[in-house]
Amino acid sequence: MLPRILTRALTAAAAASILALPAAAQNEPLTIGFIYPSPVADVGWAAELNHGRESLEEQFGDKIRTIFVENVPEGPDAARIMNQMAAQGADMIMLGSFGYMNDGIRLAEQNPDMTFIHASGYKLAPNFGNFQSRNYESSYLVGMAAGDVTETDTIGVVASYAIPEVIGMINAFTLGLQEVNPDASVKVVWLNSWFDPPKAQESARALVAQEADVVYSLYQDTPSVVSVAEEEGFWVINTSSDMKEYAPNWLLASQIADWSSYFIESVQATLDGNFEGTAFWGGMADGTVDVKSWASSISGETMAEIEEVSAAIRAGEFHPMTGPIVDQDGAERLAEGEVIADDAMQGIDWLVEGVETRIPQ
Amino acid sequence: MDVLVFIVSGTLAAATALIFAAMGELVAEKSGVLNLGIEGMMATGAAMGFVMMSLTGSYTLGFLGGAALGLALSMVHAALTIVFRANQTASGLAIGILGLGLSSAIGKKFEGKTVPGLPESGIPGLSEIPVLGPMLFQQDLMVYLSIILIFATWYVLNRTKLGLTIRAVGENPEAAHALGLRVRAIRAGCVGFGGAMAGLAGAYMSIAYTPLWAEGMIAGRGWIVVALIVFGTWIVRRVVFGAYLFGSISLLQLSIQAFGVNVPSQLMSALPYIVTIVMLAVISRNAMFIRLNSPASLGATLRLS
Repeated sequence: MLPRILTRALTAAAAASILALPAAAQNEPLTIGFIYPSPVADVGWAAELNHGRESLEEQFGDKIRTIFVENVPEGPDAARIMNQMAAQGADMIMLGSFGYMNDGIRLAEQNPDMTFIHASGYKLAPNFGNFQSRNYESSYLVGMAAGDVTETDTIGVVASYAIPEVIGMINAFTLGLQEVNPDASVKVVWLNSWFDPPKAQESARALVAQEADVVYSLYQDTPSVVSVAEEEGFWVINTSSDMKEYAPNWLLASQIADWSSYFIESVQATLDGNFEGTAFWGGMADGTVDVKSWASSISGETMAEIEEVSAAIRAGEFHPMTGPIVDQDGAERLAEGEVIADDAMQGIDWLVEGVETRIPQ
Repeated sequence: MDVLVFIVSGTLAAATALIFAAMGELVAEKSGVLNLGIEGMMATGAAMGFVMMSLTGSYTLGFLGGAALGLALSMVHAALTIVFRANQTASGLAIGILGLGLSSAIGKKFEGKTVPGLPESGIPGLSEIPVLGPMLFQQDLMVYLSIILIFATWYVLNRTKLGLTIRAVGENPEAAHALGLRVRAIRAGCVGFGGAMAGLAGAYMSIAYTPLWAEGMIAGRGWIVVALIVFGTWIVRRVVFGAYLFGSISLLQLSIQAFGVNVPSQLMSALPYIVTIVMLAVISRNAMFIRLNSPASLGATLRLS
């Protein structure tokens, strides 16, 4: 997009100034570069990645040095910035967006001594690993909470695009919801836009106007939906970051992703020289995914149930997508006791019964 | 909240930013200067308005700050196109890009933060009318101001000497110049008014409509304004009709989705654009009429002897 040009120029200038430091010599600290697709704010995707970076600094102290460049558009700019990082002596690079994948893989092949970790992609190399989170696990839990507090039995979801990760989360959410409240159903508004806070707010209002008393703000990076919930007084659940401070009275729960332990592991492996490029899909068991700020209005009974399910998920005894599961058309997708396979979950393109809205075709 | 109340009352608020920016740009274009930088001016106004409001807690200062920065950016456009005779299209685009970059720099420290939204103030008496009250008369102050602005713009452009002067400058700057009108000053004033209104519209987005700052939050609304004026054939009531139509259809499509009606949501998302363009194209199908209303010198480089 044309107006992005100036931001790009600024980003490039920022990158140049950060990187104009003396290149690392042999016994210098391990230099780790971070590239984020959006500006680092208090909350949101880049903020969570940045928390991971901060916990690295805490953990390793002067054994490492971290640098980051934010708001880097996918494409030639990202390629230039990561190449520059490599040229200036970075030993490891964290790539924070799907679209950095191909340029990252190319750079990894050219620099076998460096290591790379990449968010949400699918390509791997011996020195190039990727990471994702099993957010659907926590979606099931917050769904249970929604089932407890709803009085209208109508839950609204504000979602950006119908990609498998989002569909999987809506499915798990609905299953959790119906576990507690079999009569409740889910309505989805697809924004068809990755970023439009005013439209996200309008959508939340539209859902509330149609009886929804809990709104699930799914991957909205800004507190748009959360703040309108506090203003209008309806329950809200959000993803990525804890947004309690934006809706102290009306936040039902926040699903969070914490990359610290994965980042620390990868950096330790790089320091030890035994890094392997693997696909990491972190869930509740390893602490990558969790729920924070449960509202006190959730009944004690449901809360106890949530704790129980949460323990079962952590222990690997329960998978939210366990049959019998019926899709919107009434067809059985998973038989009694059948658990969805990981690759089926990663490519999921159907919604469960109880979701009223269709996936846009 | 009832669905109908949501759509009608929401439309007034949703269209308010469009109305402010569109009335400003309409005046600028009537004087013969095209400013394609609205998106950037709105973004800068939004960032500045939000920063001012966060720091001082005053909505008035927020709106004034937004308007002032929009005005400042438009003055760059005025200087380039009126004094240095630069191409209006190119200069406008440059201002737009500059504005987006500037907004990101100004709002850097405030990314993702929120402020309490401008409170709604019901008109005493009227807001208690059942159904109609909550629909129309329970809005924030800027919504009422935007409606006053519509009438003021129409009145000034069509019924006053100032309006006649602005239109004369836009129709035939050489003739206006020969008559002794101060063409450059009038154009600069109109461009400045457009910039201030775009800045105000941006501030409305960031401190009233969606009270938060996030880079890119204007999300194309400035371009909608540019389109509304062309499709509304430079006539106040048509531009306003377009803005409200656009606002209502964008809320209606969300309501239809929320209702669970099985229609492709991509089509629904495109609906506001399609309906607005079709409606305005239909009412503006008379080519002669368009030629009568579009400022004859719009976009042309000013050449005064």
